[in-house]
Amino acid sequence: MEISKTLRGALLGLATFVAGLAVTAAEAQTIRMWTFLNPAGNAPREKALAEMIRKFESANPGVKISVEPQVWDQMTPKFLAAHRAGNAPDIVWVVTDLLGDALKTGSLADLGELFVNKWPAAARDERKDGYWSRCAQGNRVHCLFHSRNYYGVIYRTDFLKEAGVDPAKLSTWPAFIEAAKKLTVKDASGNVTRWGFGQQFSEDRADSQMMTSLMLSRQGDLFDAKGGAKWANATGAEALKLQTDMVTVHGVTPRQAVTWSAEDLYEQFAAGRIAMFTGAVVRISTMQAKVGSDNVGFMIWPGIDGKPHSPAVMAGWAVGVWSGGKNKAMAGKFLEYMSTGESDKLWVEVGGQLPGAPSTLASMKAFTDLPANAYLTTAALGVAKYGWIPSVEYGVGGYRQALNKAAQDVIVGNVDPMAALVAAEKRFNQQNNR
Amino acid sequence: MRDTRTPFLLFAPAFALLGFVLLSPVVYAGWFSLQRIEYGAPTGYAGLLNFRRLFDGETLGATFGRTALHTGLSVVLTIAIALALAVWIDRLRPRVGFIVQTIVIVPWIVSTVVATLLFRWVFVNDIGIAAYLIGTVTGGVSGLLTEPGGAMGLLVVVSVWKRIGYAVIVLLAGLKSIPDELEEAARIDGASGWQVFRRITLPLLKTPLLLTAVVLTLSNINTVETPLILTGGGPRDATRVLAIDVYERAFAIFDLGSATALALVMFAGNILLVLAYVKLSRWRA
Repeated sequence: MEISKTLRGALLGLATFVAGLAVTAAEAQTIRMWTFLNPAGNAPREKALAEMIRKFESANPGVKISVEPQVWDQMTPKFLAAHRAGNAPDIVWVVTDLLGDALKTGSLADLGELFVNKWPAAARDERKDGYWSRCAQGNRVHCLFHSRNYYGVIYRTDFLKEAGVDPAKLSTWPAFIEAAKKLTVKDASGNVTRWGFGQQFSEDRADSQMMTSLMLSRQGDLFDAKGGAKWANATGAEALKLQTDMVTVHGVTPRQAVTWSAEDLYEQFAAGRIAMFTGAVVRISTMQAKVGSDNVGFMIWPGIDGKPHSPAVMAGWAVGVWSGGKNKAMAGKFLEYMSTGESDKLWVEVGGQLPGAPSTLASMKAFTDLPANAYLTTAALGVAKYGWIPSVEYGVGGYRQALNKAAQDVIVGNVDPMAALVAAEKRFNQQNNR
Repeated sequence: MRDTRTPFLLFAPAFALLGFVLLSPVVYAGWFSLQRIEYGAPTGYAGLLNFRRLFDGETLGATFGRTALHTGLSVVLTIAIALALAVWIDRLRPRVGFIVQTIVIVPWIVSTVVATLLFRWVFVNDIGIAAYLIGTVTGGVSGLLTEPGGAMGLLVVVSVWKRIGYAVIVLLAGLKSIPDELEEAARIDGASGWQVFRRITLPLLKTPLLLTAVVLTLSNINTVETPLILTGGGPRDATRVLAIDVYERAFAIFDLGSATALALVMFAGNILLVLAYVKLSRWRA
């Protein structure tokens, strides 16, 4: 009798366990996401993403957001190949340079069907900027930008204050160069201990440098209507000369810039070795964590031809749902959650980057009024009035490398700027079949 | 009567699996390189289009030349220094020899990325310790990484430093395998130290030397981490070797077709080197 009772109890327990497993299996849904951010990391944006995932998972029991961190420059080509092979992740972050390719392959699902069409018209309208237009095709919307990057000048506020330089007055290149000279410091033996203006001309991990802003101010674009490079002209040569003169004439940028990657600039800045440098606004929060939140400022490029500022390159990461995925609805739900006001605030407050909706920033006046957060307002102004983003009609992969190679030619090889740009233009057009 | 088929049948599954794992990427790459690649995926047969694209821009010849220079210098210097070290260690007392061996092997076991970054931090800017010393002594700025010749020189130094431990271990093993009585007999016959080394030791080290030479050659040709991290292929393409070219085609320009074609050309070169090794290793002194 006792044995029978024990057996019955054991069977009941087993049945409950099996039933529990079956229910869990039925409810469990894993959404795979490829991004360069690692939610287990300590960078501000990584913390913001981790917090979003935690909140979403707790609000959606049985759903697991599985992030598979990727090397950023290989992620989009890998996604395109995975799309063709039929094994891409449910959610992917696409780099701006290859967004056109991703759209042309039909690899990104229409977010309108998934959730965007259900938004109030006002919510859609306020997002309709340059980033939105790159994701929109007719009535369809294939992605939302969740890392809005704007390139300008990142500077050490304490160094500028010490040198008596007011960043608000650096609206022309002559003023900027004079400030960079004041900020360049040498020791007793003549070795430079701090450079006024850091730039990077390595082809490895290349970012857009200052010459692009001057070219954009005069030409409006870096490419012609067919995607061919538009550099080897008087404006391009003037811009390249201005950029390389910082090394060869003014001595405010080190010659080592020809070997520096974008990452080197952030390291040098964090080490107090450069006072100002060409940088991306999305990295400011990380720099603040290293050198103090009140010690990092951001400015839009100086202007030319009497204009207050020159346009800067905008870039970023367009987040989309894979069109071939089996979990599109849930993937869309998470992407929508990443775009809510709650998440937008996380991107700003924790991640230190621009929000997707301008109203989010407007609603956070107390936060953006803090001196340490003033860069967000500056960058938002830049995005709204002085931004340029490549067309998605053609790919522009390799343009930053080609322009950096031209800078190397001038600095190391003493090549004439126009000749260097002719070679750069030829190289880019050949590489891209233009 | 012995059944000769059974051993082959037993081995067949393992060979099939091994063959699939080893060869399928090569076969796929061969097929991929003959396709028109759009948006990262094959869209149709393109013949030799991707191979012809390798010659756009007329830079491939120079890239081959730089690869040969980097590989040749690195291999020759690594073997020369490693041989000297191995002979020296072989003559040390066992305990001291073990300590020196351990020190020599450290660069080989350190991650390539970490090791290259260390060199980069030492040389890359004007407060890197080496660059600072050079600048202080010469009164100028170190041009090691900013001048084409200096950058290639430093790349060779890093390549030699990274792989010397491997070469020392292989050559030392070769030296240990040479019977003592051969050298003793030569000395009794009146041979000098140099004559013993040239006539006895070196010929008997032929196989480990060849093995080291081929492995080092393959390793130097195929490495992308060292030049990518140290110089990024610059300045002015001075250190753009084949592996960097493949990387840039694939991940900077996103031209996966020509990247695959170039990778296949490198693969063919690797196979030729291995065949040369196999043929040479049969040669008898």
